[in-house]
Amino acid sequence: MQHVMDFTNGDHWITLVWWALIGIFVVIYIILDGSDLGAGIYSLFHSDSKEKGAIMASMAGTWDANETWLVIVGGALFGTFPMVYGSVFHYLMIPLMFVLWGIILRAVSLEFHHYSKTSRKYWDWGFGIGSLMVAFFAGVSLGAFLQGFPMTKGEVPTFGGSYLEFLSPFSLWTGVTATIAASLAGGVYIRARFERNSDTYHKALKWTNLMFYLALVAILSTVIWTFVQFPWAKSKWAGPYWWFFVLSGAVVLFATWSMRRASHQKRDVAAMVWLAIIVFINFAIMMITIFPWFVPNTITIFDAANPSNSTGAFTYSMLFFIPVMLSYNFYQAWVFRARLGKLAGYGDHD
Amino acid sequence: MIDPSLMTDLARLDFAWITSMHILYPPLTIGLATFLFFSEWRWLKTNDDEWYRLTRFFEKLFIINFGAGVATGITMEMSFGILFAPFSQAAGPFFGNILGYETITAFMYEAGFIGLMIFGWGKISKKMHLFATFNVAFSSMLSAMWILVANSWMQTPTGVHLEKGLFLVDSWTHAIFNPNFLTAFPHMLIACFEIGLFFVASISAWMIYKNRHAKMFMRTLTASIMALVIVAPLQVYMGDTLGRTVAKYDPAALAAMEGHWHTYNADGTPNTSWNVIAWPNEEKGTNDFQIAIPHVLSLLEDHKWVSTVPGLDQFKKADRPPVVVPFYSFRIMAAAGAALMLVAFWALYLRLRGQFTVEKLQSRPWFLRIVILSSILPYLAVWTGWWTREVARQPWLINGLMRTSEGVSQMSIGAEIVWFIGFMLFDILVWFGAWYFFSKVIRKGPDMNAEVIHGITPEPMHLGDMPHEEVAEGKPLFERPTL
Repeated sequence: MQHVMDFTNGDHWITLVWWALIGIFVVIYIILDGSDLGAGIYSLFHSDSKEKGAIMASMAGTWDANETWLVIVGGALFGTFPMVYGSVFHYLMIPLMFVLWGIILRAVSLEFHHYSKTSRKYWDWGFGIGSLMVAFFAGVSLGAFLQGFPMTKGEVPTFGGSYLEFLSPFSLWTGVTATIAASLAGGVYIRARFERNSDTYHKALKWTNLMFYLALVAILSTVIWTFVQFPWAKSKWAGPYWWFFVLSGAVVLFATWSMRRASHQKRDVAAMVWLAIIVFINFAIMMITIFPWFVPNTITIFDAANPSNSTGAFTYSMLFFIPVMLSYNFYQAWVFRARLGKLAGYGDHD
Repeated sequence: MIDPSLMTDLARLDFAWITSMHILYPPLTIGLATFLFFSEWRWLKTNDDEWYRLTRFFEKLFIINFGAGVATGITMEMSFGILFAPFSQAAGPFFGNILGYETITAFMYEAGFIGLMIFGWGKISKKMHLFATFNVAFSSMLSAMWILVANSWMQTPTGVHLEKGLFLVDSWTHAIFNPNFLTAFPHMLIACFEIGLFFVASISAWMIYKNRHAKMFMRTLTASIMALVIVAPLQVYMGDTLGRTVAKYDPAALAAMEGHWHTYNADGTPNTSWNVIAWPNEEKGTNDFQIAIPHVLSLLEDHKWVSTVPGLDQFKKADRPPVVVPFYSFRIMAAAGAALMLVAFWALYLRLRGQFTVEKLQSRPWFLRIVILSSILPYLAVWTGWWTREVARQPWLINGLMRTSEGVSQMSIGAEIVWFIGFMLFDILVWFGAWYFFSKVIRKGPDMNAEVIHGITPEPMHLGDMPHEEVAEGKPLFERPTL
């Protein structure tokens, strides 16, 4: 552990920055795609095909851009933390396989729905089931990640357990929690995207209310479960910096209250923003709790990092590319600034 | 079998499947984006609406293809870690960086501009849109470049040393510009152009064949097939160059591709025979059956009448690649490349004879039929080319340094089979869907009635663009959300 705290070393700072950046990429993905996945889950419980089509149309121009962030996570992780990329993905083979199938199914359904006439109802189902698969198994993956996993001995330790190692009551429960949380995000998203006098807008209110209370129960129980089961969490939360976690918890509660208030006052976009803030803070708390581990009780951030000359090369290249990327992303956002209300889908192939 | 372990072979099969199903799309993305840049540039240059119609028509096909590429591509990106974890970790310092560059400098770059290209009509100026199209084409080539850097480095792993189980980079220049990359990347890039050009040519030929907007599609047919007169022979030349690179740096792979077992003949002279067709016997280390032509092998690999080409007998049995797949897939690829070149030359011949006009092509339709059918060959060539490359590198994952069996994740056989079956279903679904909708869009033909969008239009996007019935009833789906 000693070298972990050696912050006089510049490489360590770069490593830390990449760790934080990857966390930010993940949370951006969760926030952006969570709403889309939740809207897909919502559509499973509402049988009107036109309504489902409208939900799909609402994300026609954005869902694949949102998925881009997942690709970025994979690429950046492979580039800066190959130890984690190799061992964690191997460990999570089964849940990630289902996530990937869900992603493909959803992508295919979103596209086919626009073109098809007779088979439309199957793609409606594909869209919903694909979304549910992604949300649930991504949640399972996160829970399994928190559990940690056995590593092999040797020069380059890698995952050394069985393919069902990920499966536990805890990881299944985090899967359920993720599904509920995504459903809530989906409801909030639909409220923001549909006309206030539309049927969907009212149905989404009922859905959002139900999911809000379910999510409250699910997330609180996950937090308690984490505290009880994982010593690394307990030692942080009940340690000398307990006040930090209490304070963060209070901020989350305030944000939750604000989200509900915004929702009641029909400030639907504000509700979406508050929800995003809640997700962001929760994720940040999780990462701080895990620190200095990358994977709890398994790999530390610094053991996982690429050898310094590789991380350095990666960083220098990114220092050049990130400003370039930001400038054209900004240009793109500026061009489409008025698009929020009027999406032009892929539909003009019809 | 070079590796008796079922687990390793299944992992290879799993990966081969998802890779083969992914590579159906990105080469067309690159080729078609480049073509779109050309046709849009023609529109700006000539201000002729037909070029606009053609651009928008092929853009629809481009979008379907791009979507299928993304849907299958996300799998690829995670599968290195899932199926080949020890490899990902050991090669991470170089390989991981390169894939990281691919996602960030190419994929993100592409994603940014593709939004502008697809949704930007009417929102940005014509020149800006052309610039967006250019960037889509350029960034997708960049993406291919990084992927080829990574894969070529596995063929010729220069610029690194192995230390405590990790491949540490000594020279980024040597590792990136490794010998195989310098010829393999141009070969792949030209393949992308060839696939894109034949795609455009065959659709245009079909339209002319069916006499639908025949005059308009004559423009794209002429442009694409005349470009192929240069591109197709260039590809044959690049293939030959890559073959000689492989002969120089990876003689075992070349010997497998040629079914070349014996370095010397029984009388001690170098064996220069090239096998047209053969059936290898890996147990005995020879061919059970072969039709061979003397001197062709040395001519091909060395451009000499007689020279020594190392056969598989120069390598330990454990280090020999399997022969059947590289031998036959290499031949199919080469034959496809040659056939495509002949089609391009046929077009040139017709053009020089003054027969390359709508009326003459329609009255003697065999040329059009052949062009339509030949669009499948570039796909076949890309598949067989990659199978040659990957199987001929076996038993190595990183040539000479890490065996495939050392780089594979320790997985259960059952999980590997489930993976395979699942991806078989989902990838075929994507494939079927993409090609089904290609045909649907092609049959519908270009939209000749929509207003031509010249740069920024005051009321840019209408809900009429939406495919849903609600729109037709005049009921808007959305309103602008307010804070």
